[in-house]
Amino acid sequence: MRRFDYYRAISVDEAIALLNEHGEGGMLLSGGTDLLVQIKEAGLAPAYVVGLSGIDELRELRSNGDGLHIGAGVLMHEVASDGTVQAQYSALCDGAGVVGSRQTRNMATVGGNVCNAAPSADTGPPLSVLDATVHVAGGGGTREVAIDDFWTGPGRTVLDSEVVTHITVPAPPANAGSFYERHTPRQIMDIAAVGTAVYVELDGDGNCSQARIALGAVAPTVVRAPAAEAALSGGPITAARAAEAGRAAAGEATPISDQRGSAEFRTHLVEVMTTRSILHAAERAQG
Amino acid sequence: MTTETRPEYSSVGKRETRIEGAGKVTGGAIYAADVQVPDMLHCKLVHSPHAHARIVSIDATKALAIDGVERVIVAEDFGQAVKDGSNPAIDASNRGAALLAHKQAVFTGEPVAAVLAETPSAAEEGVEAVEVTYEVLPHVLDLEAAMEDGSPLARPPVSDIDHSEEEAHVTLDVDTEEAEGKPTNVASHVSFTRGDIEAGFAESDVIVERTWRSASMHQGYIEPHATVADFKPATGELTVWAATQGQFMVRDTIMRTLKWPETKLRVIGCELGGGFGGKMTLNSPLVAALSVIAGRPVKLVLTRAEDITAAAPAPRAMINLKTGMKKDGSLTAIEASVVYGAGAYPGAPAAVGALLGTSFYKWPNLKADGYEVLTNHVSVGAIRAPGTHNAMHAVEQNIDEMARQLDLDAGAVRLQNVSQTGDPMASGQEFTKIGLDETVTQAIEHPLWKNREAAKAESTDTKMVGVGLAIGGWLGGLQPAAAEVMLNNDGTVNAVTGVNDITGTNTSFAQILAEELNISLDQINITTGDTKTAPFAGMSAGSKTLFTVGRALREAAIDLREQMFEVAADRLEANENDLELKDNAVSVKGSPDQSLGMDRLASMTTGFGALYKPLVGSGSIAARIQAPGFTAQLVKVEVDTDTGNVELKDFAIVQDVGFAINPLSVEGQMEGGAVQGMGIGLWEEYIYDDDGKLRNAGLLDYRMPTAADVPDIESLIVEVPSEDGPYGARGVGEPSITAGGAAIANAIADAIGARVSEIPATPERVLRALGTVGDGAEAAGS
Amino acid sequence: MAKQIFTLNVNGRDHEVYTEPNQSLLEVVRDELRLTGAKEGCGTGDCGACTVLVDGRIVTSCLVLAPDAAGREITTIEGLADGEKLHPMQQAFIDHGSVQCGFCIPGMILSSVALLEENPAPTRDEIRRGIAGNLCRCTGYRKIVEAIESVAGS
Ligand SMILES: Cc1cc2nc3c(=O)[nH]c(=O)nc-3n(C[C@H](O)[C@H](O)[C@H](O)COP(=O)(O)OP(=O)(O)OC[C@H]3O[C@@H](n4cnc5c(N)ncnc54)[C@H](O)[C@@H]3O)c2cc1C
Ligand code: FES
Ligand code: FES
Repeated sequence: MRRFDYYRAISVDEAIALLNEHGEGGMLLSGGTDLLVQIKEAGLAPAYVVGLSGIDELRELRSNGDGLHIGAGVLMHEVASDGTVQAQYSALCDGAGVVGSRQTRNMATVGGNVCNAAPSADTGPPLSVLDATVHVAGGGGTREVAIDDFWTGPGRTVLDSEVVTHITVPAPPANAGSFYERHTPRQIMDIAAVGTAVYVELDGDGNCSQARIALGAVAPTVVRAPAAEAALSGGPITAARAAEAGRAAAGEATPISDQRGSAEFRTHLVEVMTTRSILHAAERAQG
Repeated sequence: MTTETRPEYSSVGKRETRIEGAGKVTGGAIYAADVQVPDMLHCKLVHSPHAHARIVSIDATKALAIDGVERVIVAEDFGQAVKDGSNPAIDASNRGAALLAHKQAVFTGEPVAAVLAETPSAAEEGVEAVEVTYEVLPHVLDLEAAMEDGSPLARPPVSDIDHSEEEAHVTLDVDTEEAEGKPTNVASHVSFTRGDIEAGFAESDVIVERTWRSASMHQGYIEPHATVADFKPATGELTVWAATQGQFMVRDTIMRTLKWPETKLRVIGCELGGGFGGKMTLNSPLVAALSVIAGRPVKLVLTRAEDITAAAPAPRAMINLKTGMKKDGSLTAIEASVVYGAGAYPGAPAAVGALLGTSFYKWPNLKADGYEVLTNHVSVGAIRAPGTHNAMHAVEQNIDEMARQLDLDAGAVRLQNVSQTGDPMASGQEFTKIGLDETVTQAIEHPLWKNREAAKAESTDTKMVGVGLAIGGWLGGLQPAAAEVMLNNDGTVNAVTGVNDITGTNTSFAQILAEELNISLDQINITTGDTKTAPFAGMSAGSKTLFTVGRALREAAIDLREQMFEVAADRLEANENDLELKDNAVSVKGSPDQSLGMDRLASMTTGFGALYKPLVGSGSIAARIQAPGFTAQLVKVEVDTDTGNVELKDFAIVQDVGFAINPLSVEGQMEGGAVQGMGIGLWEEYIYDDDGKLRNAGLLDYRMPTAADVPDIESLIVEVPSEDGPYGARGVGEPSITAGGAAIANAIADAIGARVSEIPATPERVLRALGTVGDGAEAAGS
Repeated sequence: MAKQIFTLNVNGRDHEVYTEPNQSLLEVVRDELRLTGAKEGCGTGDCGACTVLVDGRIVTSCLVLAPDAAGREITTIEGLADGEKLHPMQQAFIDHGSVQCGFCIPGMILSSVALLEENPAPTRDEIRRGIAGNLCRCTGYRKIVEAIESVAGS
C-alpha cells in the first residue's frame, strides 16, 4: 500500500478539525473495506487519512417509536443481527446481511457503504425505500440530506469535507413490509448485478396504499422507480399487478454492460426481481 | 470397487491423516512469502497498460528520487547477470526467457521494468513514478480473427516454442508441426486422422455439429507467486526460495538463463500454497537475475491482481465438433477443429485437446486438428490436466446431444463406446491397462443417474431440475525420479526426496516405506530436500508424484531391506531368503529367537569400529508405461429460469485410481478437482474488454466457488490396477477436474431443454440459451 | 510519512510497534512480529487467508490499518493452541484430512472457531455459509465442513 499520513480522531469534531487543518486531498477511513481496497488496487492516493473507528458516538444503533438511529460507524453484522431491524426494517437487514463475508460484515460500516456511493451498495436500495435521512456534520455545522439526494454519481456524494454522523429511518406503520434481494452468480461474496428493494404499506382492504421501489446497480446511483411505484399503488398486490410494476421498473433502469452482465440481461433481471420483491414485501406487510 | 483380488497390505491402502499436519494448522509451515532475508530488497513490477505496444522509452528518474527506491531494472540490463554477457530477454520469443518485455509488450500486464526498494510501499510508489512511453500497436484478441489471413500479428514470429510446462504434465507421443512459411498467429498445428470420416458421417443416423467455447481461467491457488533470491557476491552462491511445484525445474531454468553451473544454485522449494499446474518457474529467473544485478537479496510477491492478470492462466478454447451416431448407439465419425488460445507467447495444449478429445471413445473414423493461436492476452500455462476440460466439454455435450436426439440412454451410449485397454488413441498409440469401462459402469449405476427422471419431476414453474453425466480422464505424466532411504541408529528410518509435498504425498510415501519395511508410520521421517541435497525428482505435477517418486521410494525401501538382510544373514548365519522383517527386527522365518533388532543392526553399521557399511537404500526409476486415469461425474442442478442462476444440488465423482495408497488423500484430490470443475462449469472466466484489459482481476469478480456454492461431493473410488504404478496406483491429481464443467452443461440441458454453447454457464448465458434474454442467439464471449 | 508508535496485543502479549501507518495489521503481524501464520492471498478482503480474531470476531487483517487495531485483543493462528495441545478445531482438521496445501487453513480454522462461538450448533448449510469468506482451492470444502461439524457435535 502506498504511504500516507494517518490521524486517528476520537470525536466527530476532531475529525472535522483534522480535515480543515490538513486541507485538500484527505480521506475518511471507517471500516476500510472500500477505502483500503481503492488505495491498494484502484490508484486512489489520499494526501492523508483520518480514521473514524475510534469515535464512539458513531457506533450507536438504537430505535424508539419514532424510528431507527444508525451511527455511521455501525457494523453490518450489528445491523443484520439487531432484532428491531429484523422485524421492522427488514429490507435493511436483508441488505446488510448479504454484504461480503462474515469477516466483511465485522468490519464494514453502514456509513461507509452509503458514503462510498456505489450503485451496487447493498444497503442503498433498502435505505432508499425506507425513506432514510443522512445526517452530516462539517465545519459549517450540521445538515440533513434525504437519502435519494445524497448520491450524485458513482462514488460521488453531496459531502464537502464533511462527516456523516448517522442515518435515521422513520418507523414504518404496522401494516408495512419491506424486502431487498440482489442477483449474484455466487451465493455469497459477490457484488450485485442488480438489487431490488420494495417497501409497501397496505390499507385495511389489503390494497397497496404506499409503495416505494428502489433499484441498485442499474444506474449511476441507486434510483427510485416511480413508474413502478405508481403501477403498484392504489390496488391489491396480485401477481399480475406485481408483474406490471416489474415491467415498469425495467423501463426505468438504465444499466451499463460490464463484467457483471450486459445491459439487456440486467434489464430483464430488474423486471423479474422487482416482481418477486413486491410479492415478498407484501407477504411481510401481511405479517 | 475392487476389480481384481489384491494382496493383503499392512499400511498402503489405509486411510491415514497427514504425518506433518501440525505445521499447517498452527501456522508454523513456511511458504515462500514467509521468507525474510536480512538486507532484502522488495521488488514490484511495472506493467504494460496496453495489449500490444512498442516500448519507446523508459525513464526511471522520478522513481529513483523516491525515498527508499534503490534500482529500476529494464530488459537491457540482464546481460549483467549472465555469465557470458548475453541477454536472454533480448528478442525473447518464449515467456520463460522474456524476464521483462524487451522493445515491445505483447499483453496487458506484461512486466516491462522492475523496481527494487527497501520496503514494498516504496517499491509500489516507484512503480507509479516510472515513466514508460509506448507506441500503441494494433492488437488482436479474437481467436477467429487471429486465424484469418491478414490479421495483425500478436507478436513477432516465434522461433522456439516452449512446451515444457505442458510436458510437465503429460507425456505425449505426438509431433506438432510448427507453422512454417508466412508468419501467422497459428503457432502450431497438429493433426490426427483415422479411417474415412465422410463414409462415417454417411452412415450416421444423427449428426451433431456445434461450436463449443470454454473460457480462460486461473488455476486458483490461494498463494500468489512468491520468490526470494539471495545472491552473495562474495561467494558467488545463489539461493532461491520459490513457490514452485518443481524445484529442479526452477534450478534448471535459472541456470539455463544465467548460464551458470548448477553447483552454484540452491533452490529451496518451500511449502506450496497450491499450484495446480500454475506454479512452475514464472518469476524465479527474473528474481534470481535481479538479485545478481543488485548484489542483494530480492523478494517478489505478486499481488492477487498481478497474479490473475499476468501469471499464466489456463487457455480458452473454441472447438468445432461434428460427430455422428447410429440408431443402435454406435459411433460413426468425429471431426474436430480444436483451437486453443495461447495468449502472446506459445505454449497452449492444443495437441492435448485434439488428442484426448478424440481418444476416449472408439471412433472408427476421425479427423482432429489442433491449433495453437496467438493473441494479445497473457500467455497461458498449465492447469490440472491441461487442455482436457475444454475438450471434454465439447465432446461430452455432443455425445449427450446425439443420444438425446436418438432417444437413447446417454449413460448406456457412453458405456457402449468408451475406449478399452489396447484400443488406439487418435495418435495410434494404444491404451495401456485402463478402467474407463468400470468407471462409467459405476457412474450409471449410481442413484443420481438411475433416479434422474424422478429428479426432473421435482421441477416447478421457474425451477427446472436436471441431471448430467460426463466422463474425463488423463493419460498421466512420466518423469524419472530418485529417492533415498536411510536406517537411523535407533532403528527408525529417514527418507529424502526432492519433490514438494503439496497434497499429502509425504504421508503416502511413509505408507510405502511402512509397507516395505513392515514398520509403523511413526518410525518414519520424510524430508523434502532442496536441489543441493535431494536426489532428483520431477515436478509435483501431472499426477505423477506418487506414480514416479513413490516407485523410486519403494525401490529404495526394498534396497534398504535387502541390505539389512545381508547384514543380518551374516550375523545370524542364515540364508537371506529365510529372513523376514517383522516387529522392528530381522529374524529367521519360523524361529523368532534368531533375530536382530533394527536398532542393533543399525548400530553395527555406524558405531566405532563397526563391521558393516552404513545402510542407505536408493531407488531410481525411469517410468515408461503411462497409467491413464479416468473419471465419470454426475451432477444434479436446479435452474432458476427467471434469473438464470444454476444451483448445484448433488454431485458424485467416480474415478479409477488404480490403487488408493491413502484413500483419505485420494478423496481429497477427487473432491478438490471436482469443485474446480464446478468453477469451470458455472463461474470462472477471464473477461476482457475490447482493448485487451482484464475486467475481473480480483477474487470478487473472478469467482471461484466458495463453500456455500457447492454441495457435498460423493467420491467413489474405482481400483483397476495399473501395470506399472506402485501397488497398481494411477495418478489421481488430474482426472478429477476434467469432467465437471461438461457434466454441469449436460445437466443444464437436461433441465431446460437447451444447451449453453459456452462455459461457464453464467446466468446470462443460461437465459440466452433459453431465449429469455437476447434474440435466441447466445452471447458471444470475449 | 511519519512513522507511528503503538501497542498491539497479539495472542495475549503486548508488542510495541514502530512503523509507517499505512501498514495493514496483516503486514505488521507477519513482517514486524514475524507471525507468518496469517497469509496474504489477495490483500483485498476476498479470500480470507489473512483472517484473524479482533476482540473475538473474525476480520480480514489485510484491510485493517494496523494503528486501528491498537488496544484490541488480536488472536492469530499461532495463539490458538494451548501449549503443545492443539485446539480441538486444529486437531479436527488433521483428523478429517481437511488440510492440503494449507495456505487457507490458518484463516479457515479461525473462522470456524469463531463460527462455533457465535453459533454452537450450526447446520451444514450454516457452516458452509459461515466459511464462505475463506476460499480453499484444494479440498473442495467437504472435509473442512466435516471437521467443523465434528467439533460442533462434540
Ligand atoms: C470482500 C468484500 C466484499 C464486499 N461485498 C460487498 C457487498 O456484498 N455489498 C456491498 O454493498 N458492499 C460490499 N463491499 C464493499 C464494502 O464492504 C462496503 O461498501 C462497506 O459498507 C464500506 O464500509 P467501510 O466502513 O468499510 O467503508 P470505508 O472503506 O472505510 O469507507 C468507504 C468510503 O466512505 C467514506 N466514509 C466512510 N465513513 C464515512 C463517514 N462517516 N462520513 C463520510 N464519509 C465516510 C470513506 O472516506 C470512503 O470513501 C465489499 C467489500 C469487500 C472488501
Ligand atoms: S488476504 Fe486478506 S482476504 Fe485475502
Ligand atoms: S488447503 Fe490449499 S487452499 Fe485450502
